[in-house]
Amino acid sequence: MGLGSFIARRLITFIPTLLGVLLVTYLIAYAIPTDPVRAWVGEKLMNPQTLEQIKAKYKFNAPWYEQFTFLMQELLTGQLEDPVRHRNVFDEISERFGVTVEVAIIGFLFLVAIGIPLGLLAAVFKDTPLDFAVRIMALVGSSLPAFVLYYFLILLLFVNIRTTYLAGIPEPTLDCKITIASLPQTIPVIGHVAAAFGKIPMFAGIMCGEFNVVGDTFRRLYLPGLALGLLNGGFIARIVRNSLLDALSAEFIVYAKARGLRRLSVWKHALKNAMVPVVTVLGLNFGGLLSGAIIAETVFNIPGIGRYMYEAIMRLNFPVIIACTFLVAIVYVTVNLVVDILYAIIDPRIRY
Amino acid sequence: MEFVYRFLKKLIWIYAGMRERISRGWIQKNSSRIREWELMAYAYSKSPIGVIGGLIVSITFILAVIGPMISWEPYWEYKIVINETYRYMPPCLPPSCSGSPLLGTDEWGRDLLAMSLYGVRISFVISIVVVLLGAPLGIILGLIAGYKGGLVDEVIMRLTDIFLAFPGLVLAIAFASVLPQRIRGLLESNDLLRAFFAGLFGLREKEYAQIAALISIWLAMVIVWWPGYARIVRGSVLSVREMPFIEAAKLSGLSTWSILFKHILPNVISPILVMMTFDIATATLFAAALSFLGLGPQEPVPELGFIISKAGYWFPESSSHVVIYLGIVLLTMALGWNLLGDALRDVLDPRTRRAIEYRLEEKEKRG
Repeated sequence: MGLGSFIARRLITFIPTLLGVLLVTYLIAYAIPTDPVRAWVGEKLMNPQTLEQIKAKYKFNAPWYEQFTFLMQELLTGQLEDPVRHRNVFDEISERFGVTVEVAIIGFLFLVAIGIPLGLLAAVFKDTPLDFAVRIMALVGSSLPAFVLYYFLILLLFVNIRTTYLAGIPEPTLDCKITIASLPQTIPVIGHVAAAFGKIPMFAGIMCGEFNVVGDTFRRLYLPGLALGLLNGGFIARIVRNSLLDALSAEFIVYAKARGLRRLSVWKHALKNAMVPVVTVLGLNFGGLLSGAIIAETVFNIPGIGRYMYEAIMRLNFPVIIACTFLVAIVYVTVNLVVDILYAIIDPRIRY
Repeated sequence: MEFVYRFLKKLIWIYAGMRERISRGWIQKNSSRIREWELMAYAYSKSPIGVIGGLIVSITFILAVIGPMISWEPYWEYKIVINETYRYMPPCLPPSCSGSPLLGTDEWGRDLLAMSLYGVRISFVISIVVVLLGAPLGIILGLIAGYKGGLVDEVIMRLTDIFLAFPGLVLAIAFASVLPQRIRGLLESNDLLRAFFAGLFGLREKEYAQIAALISIWLAMVIVWWPGYARIVRGSVLSVREMPFIEAAKLSGLSTWSILFKHILPNVISPILVMMTFDIATATLFAAALSFLGLGPQEPVPELGFIISKAGYWFPESSSHVVIYLGIVLLTMALGWNLLGDALRDVLDPRTRRAIEYRLEEKEKRG
């Protein structure tokens, strides 16, 4: 079976999963005993007529399956409205998701930059104090409450040494935004893709040549990234170390050595094989980051998707909850698929 | 670390003695199993990381049991009502200022050390119970899915997929905002249940509304927790299922349940035990994170994450000691389980256990 049909088959199994996620989300939201409309409107502005209007709009008086199909229709046609902000949910999500992607990319860079070199060093200097230190770093990293580390990084790098700031998100200039928004009209297919990527301020900055946006974004968001690298870097390093050591003791390495290959190319053989589990873990980590790091976004005051979801849940704003869980579920299944495809590329033995 | 080995060996033999009393000849029949356990105990006692982890876990366990009883300050008395200067008192060492709290006070002027004793109980109970409820649920579903195959497998695995694709924190947040009202009603009407949970968390019965919030975090976490186990168990069952000894068990007419629990489960349980140990650490932090976000119990319950989130508003001017100290408490609790899990992984893996045994013999030979 080729890779193409494998992807097709996987895409088909996604559909029930996504539908199931939506249904569960909806049922949880439906089970909320209080009246969500009151929470949306707020106590002061309550006007019975407005309440009725909103209720009718979201079909609150209809049975649950009619509400559900209504929400699904709105969701899939992209017309769902955020009842609190009175704005299309997808506009809001695309803005916030751009920020979350930036956080994820920067966090991922730190994770790779800390985890992989440390793991390689630990494998080379196996059973030395360095190896032990990496082991301890992994254990402490997975035991440290993230928010406590965030506070201390803020204390060190924001309060004491002003290397970052904690408000706002750098954006490209208006001209740049307009140029990118008009891309789909000028270039047929690629334009749409480019415009979609242009929703992410950092990429928009690169496309328009405004590199100060990229630098500012990095300055604004490097703190959560650094925290992530410190927390999970040790764990990644352990996985790199263990799988590299496993690969080095495999038979094909013995054979490569027997063939008289140079040390460097023996390592190259081993590295390529050791990367399979590393890619999985890194991929899933990236997926987790894309779903929005709620606590990091709260502490560092980042208007990302996690924060949006959190606020929506607190206000029982379930059109938004549904849209966000849909997005997160799509990210999850896509990341899983991409990880599987990467397997096949890294390890030719795996074929579908 | 000789005493650790001797202690564990004694425990093994006490257990064996109990089994012997129930059914005669048990020790003789299971002598190889007892030897394996002894070897595990030996391998464990040789790992300094594991011993430190075990020590930390035992200390937190003891503190969690006796903490609320020995705590010298009730958590519901706010000292700042008497005197505003009690708020966020800095820590001080005895010679300079005897009589005032050793580690300072929190937002309401309560002694931080005394409050952390309550907090340790709450965190400990939540983390243990989440894993002890979530893991068996996942294990049973994974066993059934892997062994039965076919449609049953498909249904269970699709369900698992749904819960895995679900953002865990979102599900937990949603539950934590939906459930409390319902559980509160239940606790309000049922005296026995109220007394039980109040005793379990070391809180007063009066705080049943907060206990309801705790229970809902708890249930939310259980629901988030099982899918990982189901998937891993299913995977290992698939590889065990085709082995000859399962065939033999089937031919000898054993029931499905006894094949599952007596023949398949023991062969897949080791990595699961390790995973459970690590997960208790994760659950401790996850619960703290939920109350940090304000989804758990509210005043006056001294939940560690909640006190930290309150102290966060005044960080670092007046409340850095609260964040540092409670951060260290949470770190230590989680670290204990992680260290234990790291050692258990080596101890429960037959390959590394043999390596430890081999290294030992070499050492003895050399001198």
